[in-house]
Amino acid sequence: MKTIYKRPEVLTDAITTYCGGCGHGIVNKLIAELVDEMELREKGILVWPIGCSVYADKYYKMDAICALHGRAPALATGIKRCLPDKFVMVYQGDGDMVSEGMAEIMHAAVRAENFSVIFINNAIYGMTGGQMAPTTLLGQVTSTSPYGRTVPAAGYPVNMAEIMANMPGVCYSERVTVNTPQRITATKKALKKAFELQFENKGLSFVEVLSPCPTGWGQKPMDAMKWVDEKLIPIYPLGVFKSPEEVSAK
Amino acid sequence: MKHELLFSGIGGQGIMMLGEILCNVAVEEGFQVTFAPFYGQEKRGGRTMCHVVIADGLESPIISEAELMLVMDEKSLKDFQNLMAPTGTLLVNSSMIDIEPDCQCKEVKKVPFYEIATELGNSKTANMVALGYLLKYMPYIPYEKVSKEVEKAFEAKPKVVPLNVQALKTGYEYK
Amino acid sequence: MGDKVFMQGNVALAESAIRAGCKYFFGYPITPSSEVPEYYARRAEEEGLVFVQGETETAVFNMIAGAAATGNRVMTATSGPGFSLGQEAMSFMAAAGLPAVVVEVMRPGPADGEILAAQGDYFQAVKGGGHGDYNTLVLAPCSVQEMCELIQESFELAEKYRNPVILLSDALLAKMRENVELPGRKEQNCDLSWALTGCAGRKHNVMTTCGDGSAQWEKYNLDLQEKFAKIKANEERWENYQTEDADIILVAYGSMARVAIGAMKLAREAGLKVGLVRPISLWPFPVKAFEGLGDKTFLVTELSAGQMVEDVKLTVPHKENVHFYGRLGGIVPTPKEIFEQIKKLGVK
Repeated sequence: MKTIYKRPEVLTDAITTYCGGCGHGIVNKLIAELVDEMELREKGILVWPIGCSVYADKYYKMDAICALHGRAPALATGIKRCLPDKFVMVYQGDGDMVSEGMAEIMHAAVRAENFSVIFINNAIYGMTGGQMAPTTLLGQVTSTSPYGRTVPAAGYPVNMAEIMANMPGVCYSERVTVNTPQRITATKKALKKAFELQFENKGLSFVEVLSPCPTGWGQKPMDAMKWVDEKLIPIYPLGVFKSPEEVSAK
Repeated sequence: MKHELLFSGIGGQGIMMLGEILCNVAVEEGFQVTFAPFYGQEKRGGRTMCHVVIADGLESPIISEAELMLVMDEKSLKDFQNLMAPTGTLLVNSSMIDIEPDCQCKEVKKVPFYEIATELGNSKTANMVALGYLLKYMPYIPYEKVSKEVEKAFEAKPKVVPLNVQALKTGYEYK
Repeated sequence: MGDKVFMQGNVALAESAIRAGCKYFFGYPITPSSEVPEYYARRAEEEGLVFVQGETETAVFNMIAGAAATGNRVMTATSGPGFSLGQEAMSFMAAAGLPAVVVEVMRPGPADGEILAAQGDYFQAVKGGGHGDYNTLVLAPCSVQEMCELIQESFELAEKYRNPVILLSDALLAKMRENVELPGRKEQNCDLSWALTGCAGRKHNVMTTCGDGSAQWEKYNLDLQEKFAKIKANEERWENYQTEDADIILVAYGSMARVAIGAMKLAREAGLKVGLVRPISLWPFPVKAFEGLGDKTFLVTELSAGQMVEDVKLTVPHKENVHFYGRLGGIVPTPKEIFEQIKKLGVK
């Protein structure tokens, strides 16, 4: 009998602590599939953040470390500089990366660190209960922007994929999302490309994933999927902002 | 056995180099030597001062009383003369210091280090003139070895070696 | 052993760390520690070292955490303002069991302060400057020679207990030059089965400091406390000088201990019976150094407003017999100045 689908080998039996309709679970599974397919389990170190994915180290039978809030790119720098031949993946949310750890991600890019960064952007702080993030949209209601985010109070949303594309130390930057099956497939392709590029030592590879957060947004899962299309994508357009072809052309 | 020395001046006068050359020779002679430099935060024109202890065992790097002190500018004199040992010798750079010392010590020697160096051809060698003069008071440091050490210190700029060696000699022989 | 040199504290320390097999250095320049990163950068190519200048000490301390997690010997060097930024990672490394070595070259604070010698970061180093219940071993050399030996030992202790170790230096020790016999090459020799290297042929290793419920996290904490208790029991280090017949005992560490040695000699020459307790490990504080000295008078001297003096008072039976003299701002007292303080205590 032909196996069409099975649970990725790298996954443990642990049950994730993500909410229904959240994008983290989808991305976590895509990572697991790629680890299996690319045989990365025994040569990889996963670096997890503080945020909703804080327990993700429990889901994979892989060497892993959970970094301090925002510091995953710095921690990963220490790891990768010691183990340049190993696969190092950094996983961060928007509060972790764009607020607490903006310096760390920017300078990992400045130094052209040879690891892959997966950035989960859900425009809100999920873990701590739905507070405003630097990625929160203008007008978006959160528990610390109860009347909607305004420019005088909190400035503008941050487009990380575009910013990273402008860094010479970044070889690949793409924004994807996971609100339809086709887009999930596209996300897997983007992650695979980012992982492959790591072994070419061309610098940092970056994938931003727009992720629905039904709990944080106060929406039903299906509505949250729609909200990604209606609200997030107009501000955070999908697409490849930088690819290695571009890098080698320079 | 313990000798406590203090050298002080303004950044750029070569005080640290003077101290280092002296210490290197003292180490070669088998002494336990401590060279403790003190700088200001400013990049230019700040104070440079060092305590040098030449001994035969572990001592405080901070001196209590200088048996030999060299001050290259007026502020150094004002700030550190209170550290003179009553039995010590104070060397004053009279090229840049007009005021009278106000401290107890055995003797004060006023020497125009800059005029001497200028006459030799380059005022920058005033520190080597001063080092030579200091050696008169340090019988435990052989002059010849210091002269060799000066050559080594300027290895990278062979052109200026003879001038600096001459400056050392002139200071050493200055009456 | 072998190479006899006349070397600056920072440089001798860096060379000794390289000889201890510390191939990884992550740093951020700050006076008075900068000669350490500069030396690593300069020697990187010939020694096959990895030197990274981080964007902030915040990042640097996380980088050394990452490097330590791979089981490699790693170090940074900084001074007070940078060490403050590193505190979250100090707490992290203590919690995660990461054996990094941190050189803290003290200068006078608070804030930006000055750049000469000070000892005002004692509390921060010894009491755990970051959050939570943790300790780090703190070693305080008093000479360039001892600095070279203790930096090498720091790596061994860090690995033995899987805990960060702080080598507490100061601007005077860091910048001064002294005769030193450089220690030889050392090899890393410890269990590294816990390290993150990719889980080929073994069960995967996971490091996390994120608790999983109060019960789990209390147990985690109690395990840490057990480790700290073991360090306390085994790793006290000190040196006592002429304490047996002394009426007054000076207590000083680091460069201040050298001044105290000078003061002690002046006092002995004047016929006063003065001794010295010199703590070498500041955490664990060398309680055993004070055994049998209960009825003495103590004069604690520090380049601070009075920090280690609290630990001395906690240690001796009669805290009313513990006196303090300190200087601030980067001023190091002369031996004579300390001798004057000894005389003021008016001992018979």
